[in-house]
Amino acid sequence: METVLSINGLSKRYGKIQAVKQLEIEIKRGEVFGLLGPNGSGKSTTLGMTLNLITPDSGTFEWFGQPPSKESRKRIGSVIETPNFFPYLSPEKNLEIVADIKGYGHDDITRVLEMVTLSDRRKSKFSTFSFGMRQRLAIASAMLGNPEVMILDEPTNGLDPQGIAQIREIILKVASEGITIILASHLLDEVQKICSHVAVLNKGKKLFSGEVSKVLAISDCIELAAADQQLLGETISRHPQFKSMTHSNGYLQVYFHGDVAPGEINEFAHNNGIVLSHLAERKRSLEQHFLNLLQENQ
Amino acid sequence: MIRLLKIEFKKILTYKTFWIIFGLYFLFLALGILLAEVMINSMVSNINSHLPIPLPRAVLYTFPNIWQNMTFFASIRYVMIFPAILVIILITQEFANKTIRQNIINGMSRKEFLVSKFQFLVVLSLTVTVIVTMVIFILGITHTDLGSFSDAFRHMDFVFGFFIQMLTFLCFAFFFGFMLRNTGLSIALFTLYTLIIEPILYFLLKAPFMFENKIYTYLPVNSVIRIVEYPSIPKLTGMLGFQIQDSLSPLSLLIPVIYAGILLGIVTYVMNHKDL
Repeated sequence: METVLSINGLSKRYGKIQAVKQLEIEIKRGEVFGLLGPNGSGKSTTLGMTLNLITPDSGTFEWFGQPPSKESRKRIGSVIETPNFFPYLSPEKNLEIVADIKGYGHDDITRVLEMVTLSDRRKSKFSTFSFGMRQRLAIASAMLGNPEVMILDEPTNGLDPQGIAQIREIILKVASEGITIILASHLLDEVQKICSHVAVLNKGKKLFSGEVSKVLAISDCIELAAADQQLLGETISRHPQFKSMTHSNGYLQVYFHGDVAPGEINEFAHNNGIVLSHLAERKRSLEQHFLNLLQENQ
Repeated sequence: MIRLLKIEFKKILTYKTFWIIFGLYFLFLALGILLAEVMINSMVSNINSHLPIPLPRAVLYTFPNIWQNMTFFASIRYVMIFPAILVIILITQEFANKTIRQNIINGMSRKEFLVSKFQFLVVLSLTVTVIVTMVIFILGITHTDLGSFSDAFRHMDFVFGFFIQMLTFLCFAFFFGFMLRNTGLSIALFTLYTLIIEPILYFLLKAPFMFENKIYTYLPVNSVIRIVEYPSIPKLTGMLGFQIQDSLSPLSLLIPVIYAGILLGIVTYVMNHKDL
């Protein structure tokens, strides 16, 4: 697969704060790549550097295998933090400016406005738009001229649930068209729902990266109790999918390989002559998991 | 190049603030030009009441001296400050709306951004110069005897001087707006410097050295203003013993151009090295 963006040893320091440190990332064509990390982990600084807004202290990056240039930026659609438009111009005029800069015609404007359901407001001033509409216009602007790559920095920040759903739907639609997407987010859940690949950042350093399904694999556990905990433990460890177990609060937390339904465990215990007094499925919350990942790597 | 200018115009032409300030500018410009003769003559009659031999009335609107007279009135600080404020608003709004970032993200180079702004400064200066020229021409035609039309365009070089005045002054304003990035602050500081600080400096520098050196003529805004000097009112100024400028001096054109060049150089350096 062709490499779209490769970042080699990129660093940026603001005074005492090392915003980005020796970052190495490679993004291939067609990936939906998540940059995941808490606020202040260097996601926006990294994207800012790759878009020539911020000058790196050291390190290099390449778009499409070439040194960065205005021409490579014309092949990228970006939504960075807040939607940036001229407040007194209509969406149509604002998009015309974007198209003029990128060197595209104006024919595509109707399509992108339709895609984000803003066609009926195409003549109103940008300043009259709600935040959700502004964010959608920003995405429309990024979509102009069918870019090869789309960069989205916290695209659902500050939106209401309906707005979030709308934006995610649009992103998935864009991704399904084969456009490479780079998404910065502090929401694990968002990255997990949308992305195929992820790099986790903390304090400007990359902790790990890879396919989402592997990096963010979640282990569920089933919590059990019975009159004889010892016997219960011995019995359950003979389950063919048994992985590990821990004791706490008078319960057994049992982890399995693959999916195991609580009902199946109940039946298994019953068949082995044990009557369960407690049976519950415990999902480790995604946020908890993310925090654990960060902690483990401190 | 035309592409960049087109983009710039798309940003500006439907901006209401732009037209309001542009309108105010022409209002003040028209007042300045139309009231100039009345004001000077009221001064003359004031002086005359103390003199045994009365001075002749000033005639400002006849060819060819009208070119110098009116470009002088069009280039006083209080009038030129309007287009300067306009320029400050246009550049600082790019920072306030973060559209400068978005332009770069979308594939404009930093150099192209500056070029588009400079092109706009040139076009704005040209537009103003053309309008002023037309006003002078109409005033001149209606106030000059048909007999003396032959040398009507003799002092038109002052129009070129006015263009340089406008362009360099707008470059100063652009520098303030670009470096400070904040609309209110830039307008306040620029106005303060142009209308108050520099005139005070001028006075302080001039008083002790009146006959020794002329360092005060090198103050930035003053160097712009001096391109076109006091109105040439024949007879009147001759009788008062003023030395009258009768053509543009290359040095007086060069000084503000050098200032503008240095400031634009700083702007370019900052644009290329600072984060947006």
